[in-house]
Amino acid sequence: MDHNATSATNTGSAVTGGHIHPPPDTFIKKYVFSLDHKVIAVQYFITGGLFFILAGLLAELMRAQLSGPNNHVLSVATYNQAYSVHGSAMVWLVIIPLLTGGFGNLVMPLQIGARDVAFPWLNMISFWLFPPAGILLFASFLYGAPEAGWTEYPPITLQMPFGTSMWCLAIFLIGISATITGLNFLVTIVKMRAPGMTYTRMPLFVWATATTAFLSMIATANLSAALAGLFIARTFHVPFYDVAKGGAPVLWQHVFWFYSHPAVYIMILPAFGLVSEIIPTFVRRPIFGYKMIAYSSAAIGLLSFMVWAHHMFTSGLEHWEQFLFMILTMTIAVPTGIKVFSWVATLWGGKIRLDSPLLFVLGFLSTFTFGGFTGILLASVPVDIHEHASYFVVAHLHYVLFGGSVFGIFAGMYYWWPKMTGRLLDERLAKWHFWLMFISFNATFLPMHWIGLLGMPRRVATYDPVYASTNLFVSISAFVLGASMLLFLYNALRSARKGEVAGPNPWGARTLEWMIPSPAPYYNFKDIPIVLSGPYDYGKPLPYANISQELATVPMH
Amino acid sequence: MRQERSGPLLDAGFWRAVIVMGIISAVLMYVVVVFPITRFLPEASSVSVPIDKLFRFCWFFGVPILVYVNGMMIYFAIRYRHRPDDPMDAVGSQIHDNRALEAAWTIGPAVLMVALAVFSYFIIPMYYPTGQAAASAVTMEAIGHKWYFEFRYPGLKQSVMNVMHLPVGVPVTLDITSAEATDDVLTGAVLHSFWVPEFRLKQDMIPGMVVPIHFTPTEVGTYRIICSEFCGQGHSHMWGSVVVDSKPDFDRWYAAQQHAAAAPAAAINLAGGDAAAGQTLFNAKCTVCHNAAPFAQRKVGPGLAGLFNDPAHPNLVNGQKATPQNVAGILQHGAHGTMGVMPDMQANGLTPSDIANLVAFLKTLH
Amino acid sequence: MATHVYVPSDAEYEEVRGQRLLGFLFFLISDCVIFGDFIFSYLYLRNASPVWPPPGIERPYLYLAAVNSIVLFGSGATMHYAMEGMRHARLRQFVWFTVATIVLGSMFLGGQAYEYTHLHDTWSGSTFGASFFTLTGLHGFHVFIGVIFLITVLIQTLRGTYTQQRHFGLTAATLYWHFVDVIWVALFFLFYIY
Repeated sequence: MDHNATSATNTGSAVTGGHIHPPPDTFIKKYVFSLDHKVIAVQYFITGGLFFILAGLLAELMRAQLSGPNNHVLSVATYNQAYSVHGSAMVWLVIIPLLTGGFGNLVMPLQIGARDVAFPWLNMISFWLFPPAGILLFASFLYGAPEAGWTEYPPITLQMPFGTSMWCLAIFLIGISATITGLNFLVTIVKMRAPGMTYTRMPLFVWATATTAFLSMIATANLSAALAGLFIARTFHVPFYDVAKGGAPVLWQHVFWFYSHPAVYIMILPAFGLVSEIIPTFVRRPIFGYKMIAYSSAAIGLLSFMVWAHHMFTSGLEHWEQFLFMILTMTIAVPTGIKVFSWVATLWGGKIRLDSPLLFVLGFLSTFTFGGFTGILLASVPVDIHEHASYFVVAHLHYVLFGGSVFGIFAGMYYWWPKMTGRLLDERLAKWHFWLMFISFNATFLPMHWIGLLGMPRRVATYDPVYASTNLFVSISAFVLGASMLLFLYNALRSARKGEVAGPNPWGARTLEWMIPSPAPYYNFKDIPIVLSGPYDYGKPLPYANISQELATVPMH
Repeated sequence: MRQERSGPLLDAGFWRAVIVMGIISAVLMYVVVVFPITRFLPEASSVSVPIDKLFRFCWFFGVPILVYVNGMMIYFAIRYRHRPDDPMDAVGSQIHDNRALEAAWTIGPAVLMVALAVFSYFIIPMYYPTGQAAASAVTMEAIGHKWYFEFRYPGLKQSVMNVMHLPVGVPVTLDITSAEATDDVLTGAVLHSFWVPEFRLKQDMIPGMVVPIHFTPTEVGTYRIICSEFCGQGHSHMWGSVVVDSKPDFDRWYAAQQHAAAAPAAAINLAGGDAAAGQTLFNAKCTVCHNAAPFAQRKVGPGLAGLFNDPAHPNLVNGQKATPQNVAGILQHGAHGTMGVMPDMQANGLTPSDIANLVAFLKTLH
Repeated sequence: MATHVYVPSDAEYEEVRGQRLLGFLFFLISDCVIFGDFIFSYLYLRNASPVWPPPGIERPYLYLAAVNSIVLFGSGATMHYAMEGMRHARLRQFVWFTVATIVLGSMFLGGQAYEYTHLHDTWSGSTFGASFFTLTGLHGFHVFIGVIFLITVLIQTLRGTYTQQRHFGLTAATLYWHFVDVIWVALFFLFYIY
């Protein structure tokens, strides 16, 4: 039954094939207010990329300030603003939009064999909430940008100038945008899969995107509510967090982390998904433990709602609360471990091509595993008591968000760039980029663990001179890390003029997005394909019916 | 399937790799066991020893996992690489899954997590006052202010600022909180955090909430208190220290405190103040709240240029004339003003000669 | 207007309806989370306070709210009968019961406005006021949107947009209205009884 196309009738959309709108004819409809998920994805990539550059420059400024103790590169207030906006921008304007808005939009509808997402108009709206949010966030520098970090713990945030209200509004817009995207993607995945694509035949990136979409829909709605709460607390003095009127500062930490812990998984699950795509393609063998990887995504998604207070072990929780959240947090290590071990096992006995996407994925595996391990340290309440709010945490979160999500984003970029643009990136430059980035990344963030353990707190503009030499080394590495990004930028611009034409399937992959020309045509699939089995059976004939045969061959570059 | 090149998966090369990684793991695990943490960060309280043990425990079991994940990844990537003479469409092993292996890497980490949780469970009560130990402890208060720490001792009328003294070997319960808006004239209450790395202890100071922590200082010495929760402009500089004294030293210090409360502090001799040294101090300590600029350029407090000859502001915040001796008095005792609180010399960590240097420097500002 | 209007086949309509229905349910779930956030805040603050309501704060008057609740639940019933009318192609039943729903919804808003203007507590006055005005205000805003929604679909129906078979807009409006009712049950319990 598994390979029988007739089992398809109860899933997916057999009839969406019928009606195709004519393609848009004006520039505005085609490139600005486009309804096409592929164009919207590119819009996300460009906008998010610009914010990545801006937020990255803020990080370099911070490292300049921290290159020595008692530096005056930035004033204390400007430094505080720099790290707050850097963190907020990297989380909400870079990683989440690039992974969900960018790759989710670009790849997910293609992988399920759909012509677009379920609600293209909502998709356009959710993109257009994003640039204003980013502009608001960066414009807050003009009105006293937020200083209390990306978490903005009150009560100090109640005493800050107008910029913090702009922060609230910016992130509120992002929250609405992400909620709409989540809802849209989830409906798309549930309702619009090609005939025959049962849940256990979905590509793993789609599994990851479905889980992410679910988290976005629930958790991000809560973020919007929390930010509305902070906004009215600031503007109308509503005493949620005001101690003098009986409010509780710790309440914010609960409502904020109830969003922001799932957000950690919103930022990493799509990266897990694209890692699960890239590994089998370049290892040329079926992914090891498909079901375990798929179900562990769902398990992580559900568990992520039950662990938020592990960010608050020093906030005066009851002991039983500390213990409960510690246990639940440690539980997440199990499904995450399953994924990492399954990926490594997939490499076992493959025919591995070490092309740039796989290099970035291996870099991801190495750094993310280390970040995950320090995460377990932080999950243990007594160890966390010492490490909390120190540079150890800064190092940990960059190992998972930079070493995990950003390495994932670059892996995905090198992998799907041909599908997006029709051209290949230069492989030699890509490898240089990888090694430079991988080495300088570790040189930047590994030493931070050490100075954090020794007693350097986070969110400080200066520090005890005993940490001076380590910080200087970290700053120099950070500048190299920043410079390594230029290689990608150059490579991307170069490919527009000199890039080799990619063809439909340059990597010889088997998921549906590679079964159509690059870049994908306006309505994706001429005929809706029929899916006969799972997507990772390298060495077997392609599991699709109803796709044109000349594309079904597997050319190699 | 074409498998002749790579052969069976469990061949001699694989086992060699397993053994090499095992040796690397064993060496690193040994390093974890003998690593001299105290050479870098002393274990100065009763809770720091078990917390470090737990920390070692995590690394002890974490290191082999990290070695095998990274090692296997690198080994497989090299061993099973696509070679130039392999056919273009060569594919790898067709194994889809392996129940036993998957069960192992599900149950293995789960068991480790349970062990870690149990271990942690027994340590959590150690740093909170529970049961007998807490009953016999001395109870003190630690209060976070912008931007200094205040400590209240039982039997002392006045608070002690920033430098806290504790007798070695005596259990302490520290009630930790932050100043509420009414106490902190500045701009309202904020969060702080009380962190002594050498004690492995940290507790956020939360306005409106008192959280007790419990420990016994075990090593004589001076350790840092660091604020680790963002609290505004002065956060980067919000450092205090805790001096763990032998019992006689502590008693002597305590007696001196009681004495100091009774007798007014002597005025400071301003002769011989060094303006250059004062400038260094000013940049390190005062610029958090003050600019070396005219009065109107406020930060938390007023700009201090022309302090002694500003016709618009002939008087200091306490109503006295702006003379060097009166400025020295404010530096010494601190002041409560409309804009905020100026901490006293103890809170700011100033000696009398520091004050003389600062006043000399302030005279050079016009 | 000579533009070509595409009329989807029944199968296509059913498929699109399924997508929209699921999307709308997801929207309601995420809306629930927004209420959930503030309800959690209320319970947290209540738990943190030694006495409740905080000293000097009076609870709002139960009987006025009870009458108001009956009005709102009544509007849920009239909404139900309106949809029954639609399902059985009884347009008159639909129109009049929808009008009744709109009137009852507006009465509820009026009652809430009366209550707001006769309370001593304020939004910024206490933690009780903070939660009370935020949550009931948010709910009132939802009722207001619901009334607008109903007026819109009523006009659309009168202009012939919906048929006995194809009326997803009406289904959405009904779901939304019942959702707002259910939220009120929780709020009524929290603020007036618990």
